[in-house]
Amino acid sequence: MGGLDGEHDVAALIPMVRRVVGARVTDPDVADDLVQETLVRVLGATQRVEPGMLEPYAIVTARNVVASMWKAQDRHRRNQHRVVDLRPAAAPDENLLAGEEHVAIAEALGRLSERERRTLLAHEVTGQDTRTLADELGSSAGAVAAQLNRSRARLRVEYLLALEQREPETDRCRPVLLALSSGERRRQQEVDAGRHLLECQLCARLSQPLLQRGHPRDDQVRIPIHSDADIVRARQGARELAARLAFSKTDLTVIATAVSEMARNIVRFAAPGEIVAELLEAPRLGVQVVARDTGPGILDVEQALTDGYSTYHGLGMGLPGARRLMDEFAVASEVGRGTTVTMTKWQPEGRR
Amino acid sequence: MNDDSPVSADASADSPADGQEDDQLLPQLVAHLREHRTKLRQEWASRIRDAHLLDAMTPQEMSAETTSVYDNYVEVLETGSVEALQHYARDLSERIIPRGVETQEVVGIVLLLRDVLARSLFEKYQRDFRLLNRVLDAYEPAANRIANTVAVSFVDERERVIRQQQDAIQELSTPVLPVRERLLILPIIGVLDRERARQLTEQLLTGIRTHRARVVVMDITGAPNVDEAVANHLVQTVDASRLMGASVIITGVSPEIAQTLVTIGVDLSKMNTIGDLQGGLEEAERLLGYTVNRQDGAADQS
Amino acid sequence: MNTPALVSILRQGHYLIASIHTALDDSQMIRFQQDLIEQIGHHRSRGVIIDVAALDVLDSFGSLSLRNIAEMARLRGALTVIVGVQPDVAFAMVELGMGTGSVHTALDLEEGLVYLESRVANAVTDMTLGISG
Repeated sequence: MGGLDGEHDVAALIPMVRRVVGARVTDPDVADDLVQETLVRVLGATQRVEPGMLEPYAIVTARNVVASMWKAQDRHRRNQHRVVDLRPAAAPDENLLAGEEHVAIAEALGRLSERERRTLLAHEVTGQDTRTLADELGSSAGAVAAQLNRSRARLRVEYLLALEQREPETDRCRPVLLALSSGERRRQQEVDAGRHLLECQLCARLSQPLLQRGHPRDDQVRIPIHSDADIVRARQGARELAARLAFSKTDLTVIATAVSEMARNIVRFAAPGEIVAELLEAPRLGVQVVARDTGPGILDVEQALTDGYSTYHGLGMGLPGARRLMDEFAVASEVGRGTTVTMTKWQPEGRR
Repeated sequence: MNDDSPVSADASADSPADGQEDDQLLPQLVAHLREHRTKLRQEWASRIRDAHLLDAMTPQEMSAETTSVYDNYVEVLETGSVEALQHYARDLSERIIPRGVETQEVVGIVLLLRDVLARSLFEKYQRDFRLLNRVLDAYEPAANRIANTVAVSFVDERERVIRQQQDAIQELSTPVLPVRERLLILPIIGVLDRERARQLTEQLLTGIRTHRARVVVMDITGAPNVDEAVANHLVQTVDASRLMGASVIITGVSPEIAQTLVTIGVDLSKMNTIGDLQGGLEEAERLLGYTVNRQDGAADQS
Repeated sequence: MNTPALVSILRQGHYLIASIHTALDDSQMIRFQQDLIEQIGHHRSRGVIIDVAALDVLDSFGSLSLRNIAEMARLRGALTVIVGVQPDVAFAMVELGMGTGSVHTALDLEEGLVYLESRVANAVTDMTLGISG
């Protein structure tokens, strides 16, 4: 063994390192990265390590690499409040300038426009109120506040991108992330954020801290649909949400049945997808369910809504059945990209 | 115009001098109406009788109510606030609506009072035309407001009562009647819309479980028009009942309804339809009897 | 049974009484279907009662599964009764456009047994008559 060169020794360690890392990290991509990093470190140390010690050294290094990733994740989690809001103005310098995200924040700030950056810093760091800023800018306090909100939303997005050191893969990513970051639901609908998150892995990951910020939405449930066990979860989630309104037990079962049908459609031929149920207040109290999938799409929506049209062997109850169960029902489908079904049940009038 | 009119000359305390402010007029009117309360109220009551209004009331009731209305009326003139009158009018409406008193009667009596009081004022001030004009100018808007308040209160109350009755009828019109053990009758009366048909089905299904029904006789003799949507609902109701283990017999199917059912593709041979309710009940007994005979042994064991 | 917490299948004389205790997902439903059919064969059961009172929803798949069970049971010589369909579930099923086809239904376990008694006893009598005649 002693006669072989270091590189060969290291190559022989790969299966063992893989095992060590694999036992601790489930995500195969992440595990791969960590194995690579371990090997690079071991390779760099071969000169300093006794040949017989290479194996234990590799094991220790692999553990350390995994642990340092966890630490980084934990740090990221601990620092998430800074993504959440840059406003802890009590000690703005410390929050903005200290810590390991310094670079990311500087980069994020650098991506804002000069005017945005100046206004934001004047407000957050110098502590000028919106009225003073408005006077300086020749604008109204309300407009400045709105602009500050937009800037903060952009800053959060750019910060996350800088932290990842990634550029968005499509030109839809930024608008979607921005809509999520600002929490504007109408804008999220306009850019079809839900669908994009199903299709874009980067945004799906980046959206997590953005969606978690602030108060969790308690008038909405989102159930990812991958397998048939999710069908039960989806209909139960929708039922529990709807039960907060004055629906009768029959109405609740009707809603759950429609959700079940839609979730089943996704599992059958369009997974992955998601079911999002949301309480509506206007124009009336009600519950809206959006079923979104990444399937092949429906070629002829009209036909799919016809009773007896069978897309999978046995029954064609899915769409027409759910339509009968709900008060409103709309299908938007694009062949090759997927289908979005939006259906609504209104709470009967006069019930409180 | 003669400023120094006899009226203003001989009326001492309560008579308005020409230069008096208009806002002094109403207090004077009020004082006048209070002073002649008994006479005016009696005159009003007799005119109500002559006009055959509020015939539903006894003379005692009439006397009590007219006194209250009169006092409330004068109070509104005095205070300018209709709140108390509004309350009273609502209360009165609630009492007289169940006795069939109509809107025009209520409006009629208030207009009569308005007229009686106006005449009295006319008599009092007729010799000073300018003053009379000013008095009536002050009185009429207030009187109109009173008439308006009473009428609106009555109509509001009436609508509320009607709504209440409609709700009650709605509840009543879809009763699930347990006739005997395991047998329900569901008479469908009145117009069925989507929402009502839905309620009806829900009630029936719950009723089937509560009464452990095995047979339901659904009588649609009282349903005037069964269109396609309603017919579909009937079919659904039959199916849903069956899912809960109850058979449905439909009675009172007119030839028109049968036609509708056939048009929408309902297989009538799968629906248990019988001409009239009596026949339906007999059929139900037969079904139950059949089952009862069969279950005798099992029932004794359990 | 591998999923005793979700369903139970009890044998009572000639009958099997299968109770579903909670909402089943599709794989669990298919599993239940297989278990039940196996048991019917094993015990040579004459009747099956499936109690679905605990099901929150019977959608197209659930209804179809019950129908399939009844059909397979029939081929194995057993009569199936579905019992315990709740009013709200029944309502949603018909609005969805589903029934249980020609499968027999009864209000609850007791009624289901009464039904089986009447039908299976009948069948036995008919058979006896057929043999003697």
